[in-house]
Amino acid sequence: MTNIQRRKFLKYTGGSVALTGLAGCSGGGGSEETTEAGETTASEGETTASGGSGGDTINVGMVYALGGLGDKSFNDMAHRGVKQAAEKYDVEFQNAEPSGPSDFKTLQQRFAQSTSPDYDLICCIGFAQTSALKETAKQFPDQNFMLVDSTVDSDNVASYVFKEHEGSFQIGHLAGQITKMGFEAGAGKTNDAGKIGFVGGLEIPLIKKFQAGYMAGNKYAHEDNEVTAAYVGSWTDPAKGKEIALSMYDDGADIVYHGAGASGIGAFKAAQERGRFAVGVDADQSKSASEYKDVILASMVKRVDQAVATAVENVVNGSFKGGQINALGLEKNGVQPVLGQQLGSSVPDDVTAALEESRKAIIDGDITVPTKPGDV
Amino acid sequence: MAVARSREVTTMNRKAIALVVVAGVALAGLVSVAFFPAGSIAAVVAVVDANYLGAALRLTVPIAFAALGGIFAEKSGVINIGLEGLLIIAAFVGIATTYTVGGGQAAVWIGFAAAVLASTLFALLFAVVTIEFKADQIIAGLAVWLIALGLGPFTARVIWGTVNSPSVPTLNDWTVPVLSEIPWVGPVLFDANPTVYMLLVAVPLSWYALNRTAFGYRVRASGENPRALDTAGVNVSLVRYKSVLISGVFSGIGGAGLALGQVGQFIGSGQTMVGGRGWIGITAYLFGNYNPIATFGASFLFAALDALQIRIQQIPGLDLPGSLVRIVPFVIVIVVLALIGKTRLPSAAGEHYDSDED
Repeated sequence: MTNIQRRKFLKYTGGSVALTGLAGCSGGGGSEETTEAGETTASEGETTASGGSGGDTINVGMVYALGGLGDKSFNDMAHRGVKQAAEKYDVEFQNAEPSGPSDFKTLQQRFAQSTSPDYDLICCIGFAQTSALKETAKQFPDQNFMLVDSTVDSDNVASYVFKEHEGSFQIGHLAGQITKMGFEAGAGKTNDAGKIGFVGGLEIPLIKKFQAGYMAGNKYAHEDNEVTAAYVGSWTDPAKGKEIALSMYDDGADIVYHGAGASGIGAFKAAQERGRFAVGVDADQSKSASEYKDVILASMVKRVDQAVATAVENVVNGSFKGGQINALGLEKNGVQPVLGQQLGSSVPDDVTAALEESRKAIIDGDITVPTKPGDV
Repeated sequence: MAVARSREVTTMNRKAIALVVVAGVALAGLVSVAFFPAGSIAAVVAVVDANYLGAALRLTVPIAFAALGGIFAEKSGVINIGLEGLLIIAAFVGIATTYTVGGGQAAVWIGFAAAVLASTLFALLFAVVTIEFKADQIIAGLAVWLIALGLGPFTARVIWGTVNSPSVPTLNDWTVPVLSEIPWVGPVLFDANPTVYMLLVAVPLSWYALNRTAFGYRVRASGENPRALDTAGVNVSLVRYKSVLISGVFSGIGGAGLALGQVGQFIGSGQTMVGGRGWIGITAYLFGNYNPIATFGASFLFAALDALQIRIQQIPGLDLPGSLVRIVPFVIVIVVLALIGKTRLPSAAGEHYDSDED
């Protein structure tokens, strides 16, 4: 890689990071972005042109999923994970946000090729990077990668997958109980229809896992409960996500659970307009999208932050193992239903007790959660 | 003579093909009745209610406003394919301004005005480049889109640190007392978002302006025969500037209607939250043959099909592949444009006009 190419690359990725930092300062409080502990800036990167920047600092390259930072769920969770590691250890990281699927490979390779700094770990966030990473991992056998939400069978890639269906089962179990019990809290109220809804982003096996677990949990709560499901066809169309949720609420649904990235924000908006409930995904969205905390009953939290932090920690401790698939389920709290910060306290104790029971049953293998909606 | 003949033949061919398509659709309908339980057909019919029409109207807003704007620009001879970009700019500026001003409905309306202003200024830039400096209209239009696609998310990152914005309030629905109690019509037409009312006013107004006013005649002459208009002593460039600015105003309302009327957030990742609505708007006005009312109909058709596929996905037992259902609106667009469409571009559309004065 010539010096000019490197400069171009640093300008491209580093420039955006520097702006992120600036925005954090001028934005003034509130935003998570204000504490960018270990983030390098463009100028820093450009001055250390001779490779191997200072001492034992671990450098991490982050390639995010298409939803982008600020999606208040998936990418922000990954970002939080690397920030945690940066606060704890001598870790510096660079963010790269692709603007389209074709960028994945480019960004992965740019990090892998870079010698200033030499990246010790490249985190690839999201299933969509799988095929790109398959090639990149082969081209750079000495480079460590980690992949979230999918698997690549290669000695230098640590794969982290989540048992979303298990967490979603718990959400379905919670929603299935609430929809039958005359629940009223915050800005929402059920109409006891025994009906709940699911809004998906893209119709892909990963999101179908959410839907399947949710449907099974709902059935487990009450055999005759109904679920309707629809897909937006995009991660970034909140207007359509909202229309789908509205159609479900108008059809009598009490609770709508989304697995639709930024499109899912529309489901929260719809819940507020109709005075019903919604369930968030990936992060505790009653906190990350706190404008909607009066209708967010719970969130199916996927500890992407833990996956990223663990992978970085392993690199720091020299215990990074490629070729492994780490499946995080309810057992290790890799996925877990987290009650909303405002509405959580209103959820009756017998509901939470039932949730705890079904959680144990899943961990013990007494309940097998399907991964395909057709199997429910 | 031969030309006329071949035209006749083409029209006949088209009619024949259209008939075949209609027959095919009917056949598919019969087959689906045979293969799916009668209950699901009834269920599809049953989704058409007041809520459904309300949803379809809301989805129409950004598409139809972009399309109305496109009509004015193209009728005057300037093809504005940058509508998508204008929607993005309006959506972004609307949210950013509302966020900065802060507070209740007043802030949202200020944001709305700022969005329309920003879109209009962008359209002015486009007009200067294409009319004054005679740049290729298609290239300049693409540039408007690409610039907006980059500038929106980039500025979002400067302000909020990410390409997606935090949430801001949206425009409250306006409910007309008494009238909103009318079954069916009431909840659809008299309990709706302000942007829906704006659209219902803008459509007949646009039709009137284009067909019954001196300005409308000039716009059309500027697109059909600018030389004649010039000879009559009318400044062609000025007419075109005005028309392009109108497309900016309408697109601004459309983009702000999407962002501030419905969502209350700017999503800048990928194709942004606008997600191709501007492009569908272009299709809509071609489909509607530059007639504002037909164009509204076309926009409503796309939106209604979209609202329908959302509901079809939810019908239990009707296990159609969702991705297939979602492309239905676009397939219909292609079929209609390719086979039944009678769209005729204004003669001078896309051409620069030089008055030879200097």
